[in-house]
Amino acid sequence: MLLELNNIFKWVNSGGQRIFLLKDINLQVEEGEFISIMGPSGSGKSTLLNVIGMLDGFDEGEYNFLDESVHTLKEKHRANLYKEYIGFVFQSYHLLDELTVQENLEMPLLYKKYKGAERKAMVADMLDRFNIVGKKDLFPAQLSGGQQQLVGVARALIASPKLILADEPTGNLNSQQSAEIMELFKKLNQEDGVTIIQVTHSEKNAAYGSRILKLLDGRKV
Amino acid sequence: MYKLFLKIATRYLLKNKLYSFINIFGLAIGIASFVLIMLYVNYEQSYDKFEGSENVYRAYMDYLEGDTFVAGDAQTYNSTGPSLKEEFPEVLDYVRLFYFEKMTFQLGERILEEPLGSLADPSYFDIFNYPLLKGEKEKVLSQPYSIVLSQSFAQKLFGTEDPMQKTISAFRDGEKAILTVTGVMVDMPKTAHYRNSFLISYETEKTWTYYGTEIHELNWNANNYYTFLKLDPNANVSLLRQKIMDSDLEQDTEEQHNIEPLEDIHLYSDKPYEVSANGSVTRIKFLTAIAFIILILSWLNYVNLSATKSMERAKEAGIRKVSGAQKSQLILQSLIESILLNIIAISISLVLVAITLPLYNAVTGKELSSGLSNISSFLPYFLFILLGMILAGLYPALLLSSYSPAKALKGKIQTSTQGLAIRKGLLVTQFLATIVLLIGTIVVTKQINFLESQPIGTNVNQVIALKGEVITAKADSLLINDYKVLEAELKRLPFVEKVAIAQTYPGDSFDNLSSTRGISLPNGKREEDKLFYTYHVQPDYFDLMDIEFLAGGTFLASSEGKGRQVIVNETFLKNMGISSADDVLNKTLGFWGYDEWRVAGVIKDYYHFGLKSPVLPMIIRYQSDVSNLLVKLDPSAASLSGIESSMSQIKLVWTRIFPKSTFNYTFLDQKFEAQYKEDKAFGSAFQVFTVIAILIAAMGLFGLTSYTVVQRKKEIGIRKVNGATIPQVLALLNKDFVKWVGVAFVIAVPVSWYTMNQWLEGFAYRTTLSWWVFALAGISALLIALLTVSWQSFQAAVTNPVDSLRDE
Repeated sequence: MLLELNNIFKWVNSGGQRIFLLKDINLQVEEGEFISIMGPSGSGKSTLLNVIGMLDGFDEGEYNFLDESVHTLKEKHRANLYKEYIGFVFQSYHLLDELTVQENLEMPLLYKKYKGAERKAMVADMLDRFNIVGKKDLFPAQLSGGQQQLVGVARALIASPKLILADEPTGNLNSQQSAEIMELFKKLNQEDGVTIIQVTHSEKNAAYGSRILKLLDGRKV
Repeated sequence: MYKLFLKIATRYLLKNKLYSFINIFGLAIGIASFVLIMLYVNYEQSYDKFEGSENVYRAYMDYLEGDTFVAGDAQTYNSTGPSLKEEFPEVLDYVRLFYFEKMTFQLGERILEEPLGSLADPSYFDIFNYPLLKGEKEKVLSQPYSIVLSQSFAQKLFGTEDPMQKTISAFRDGEKAILTVTGVMVDMPKTAHYRNSFLISYETEKTWTYYGTEIHELNWNANNYYTFLKLDPNANVSLLRQKIMDSDLEQDTEEQHNIEPLEDIHLYSDKPYEVSANGSVTRIKFLTAIAFIILILSWLNYVNLSATKSMERAKEAGIRKVSGAQKSQLILQSLIESILLNIIAISISLVLVAITLPLYNAVTGKELSSGLSNISSFLPYFLFILLGMILAGLYPALLLSSYSPAKALKGKIQTSTQGLAIRKGLLVTQFLATIVLLIGTIVVTKQINFLESQPIGTNVNQVIALKGEVITAKADSLLINDYKVLEAELKRLPFVEKVAIAQTYPGDSFDNLSSTRGISLPNGKREEDKLFYTYHVQPDYFDLMDIEFLAGGTFLASSEGKGRQVIVNETFLKNMGISSADDVLNKTLGFWGYDEWRVAGVIKDYYHFGLKSPVLPMIIRYQSDVSNLLVKLDPSAASLSGIESSMSQIKLVWTRIFPKSTFNYTFLDQKFEAQYKEDKAFGSAFQVFTVIAILIAAMGLFGLTSYTVVQRKKEIGIRKVNGATIPQVLALLNKDFVKWVGVAFVIAVPVSWYTMNQWLEGFAYRTTLSWWVFALAGISALLIALLTVSWQSFQAAVTNPVDSLRDE
């Protein structure tokens, strides 16, 4: 078992009313799964992804990640946990504009105590694997959306996480770029055994996954 | 990791050019101003420092005024030193100095004048620890008719030859002395309040002039000597000071001796008969305050800009956090960036300092250097700059690292109300400093204008004082005849309006006035403790100087006993308790052991020393003299070329009558103005640094608005879609700034009212702190703020709302 959510509730108080963002979510994820979270806008997809990614807290329930109970961990431990096991991919790529492709890839490693030579090797390996060696000295603004997202995925993968969380990874891409990224995810999942949880609007993209989780108004349906 | 941090910082700075420029230049100008001001302050604080200077004190006189003693005279008696040494074991040694503003020397056929010299006791070099290049310090001044020359004066006289044991002639009141060079000393630093270019052994005084023997006798009659004491390093100085004040060395209840540290003289002493114009500790305090205000302003700017900018970088911080960065790492990165920015700013500021230093020196009249010589005294300031730089970097760093990544990545960073309050506070502080400086500038300028525009009761324009040492064997009376010839010859020149002989004139040095106490008044009263000042002139003086008479008139040249006529001023009457001029006119006064000084006239008060000091009670005597020949030029000679040709013609007449002489002339108006020189320099420094402070504040404001406007782009768009007009949008954006200027103004008024009153205290006659001064400063600050803000508000206001709403 990679992770397990038990009876997760998350809410905000607004005008004396409690508005639920997540309502009684239960979810078990095994290693090697490829899950797509679907649902209309405001249904809590991204919130759920953020909770799984430990970027956001929750108000009630239990969250176990690799047998650690996340809800009882201190902030610093939690950070260490996701630093080690989780990689993020965003809809709008979120690359650092001031860094080149190569440097963007190296950036997460800086926070993980790798030596310089090791970092170089890992970055080179990743550039190679994603066929972007030729782009390594370009800045994000010089790349197409699809290429930027490729870098985004590479960055998420560089420290070999067990879990990739992708929030509408193809939302800003055209259909061909979209397909390329999804193929990549599929390959990572099947060949490298990386667990993937993605948020998506598109049935076509969801079909790449092994399981679909549907949300409506913060509730699993 | 650091390398990457530096790399990203550099790229960021290059990409955001406007932001970087404002931030770096704001800081650089701030630091440069700080360094320049503190260089000056350091220089002013470095006066009279040499090995052992902390044990050197100057004796001076306190005079009784009413029932308290006030500092009355920087000069003491020739008995002061010997008596203090005898009475108090703490006084190890003394040196007496008799000051010559300048002296005429003759070497073979060469006649030249050298300023700054003294008669000095043999102990001089033991107390003033300046190195001797030639001669032994115990011996150089031990024999009469010895002279020690400064290195550059020696060079001027003898070139590369060895000056030792050579002889030169010196002239004092026309009497010649042949002096032997016994030593050469280093040129004294400019940071000495009492500089000597030559020292003549004290014993020479005794036989140099016909009156020498008499004045050389130890006495308590004439206090014309500066006395410096070397105290025991272990002495309890405050106790000694009290003992000296309590002692009654000269047995005169109207005065007492006092002592002050040599090192304090330049900044803290402003007594009558100072050897040179001293600095002012008030000015130093003001300048230090300005320096810190400017530096802090530029830091506030930096904090404000970076904090605002950090919102824009929230996304970056979010990505980093998601990639595993810890809070401390984000703080570190932000700090590295701010240190990089500061280092660039400091480098630029040092270049700015190096470029502007010559100009700055020209304005301040000092010899400041940015060299390494005073680096140790600058260390505290550098540490201060370093500390400030880290503190200024810390706030944006903490702010940036505190954003929650989930929100930051969605771009939903809104500043907390607390953060906003801090930034508003910073902005108000900036405006506050700006308004205070503006008020300061206006007050200083107003005071200087006041000093210059106030009628001074005399007209110094187009008046020239001719002065020269005439080398002749003639007796004084014959020399006076020569002067009469000169006077007559000069009057014949077409451009000369009036000529008169006078011992001194308005704006001349204090040294040329005699201070006296003890006078019998016409009402039979004897006034013992009231000081009055006196000098002598010839009858034409008052007409030439446009000094008005209240009663009576000038001296009668033909009257019997003409040398016993005096003219007094209004303040003299007031001080002596005489209500009407008629009570003294044509009556007699008694002083200096003579009872029949007939009062020929009473003049209206005029300002002998400008408006910085109060009008002195004055008795002007009728006496022939050869010291200054005042010449009033016709206004037609006023143009520059006219003056040049006039001066050369006057010189021609002078050298025809006195072939062997030196020739000097002074324009009275320039000399009179020179009294305000330091104040004017202070005024211009104040103006320049105020402009810089405003510039920095405006830059910060500009930067801040550009982000406010970006942040509110959507709001502006929505308002416009809903019918807001451009003026309404402008008002919306500018309202806040107006409010902040208002708050700053309310605080600034009492602060500056208090401080500027303190400054004005230093002037005997001062301008008023009118309401318009404050209003003008407030309105200026408001206008500057509005202009800065509106340029960008306007851009935002005219933007098509479709553009600003589209990208949502």
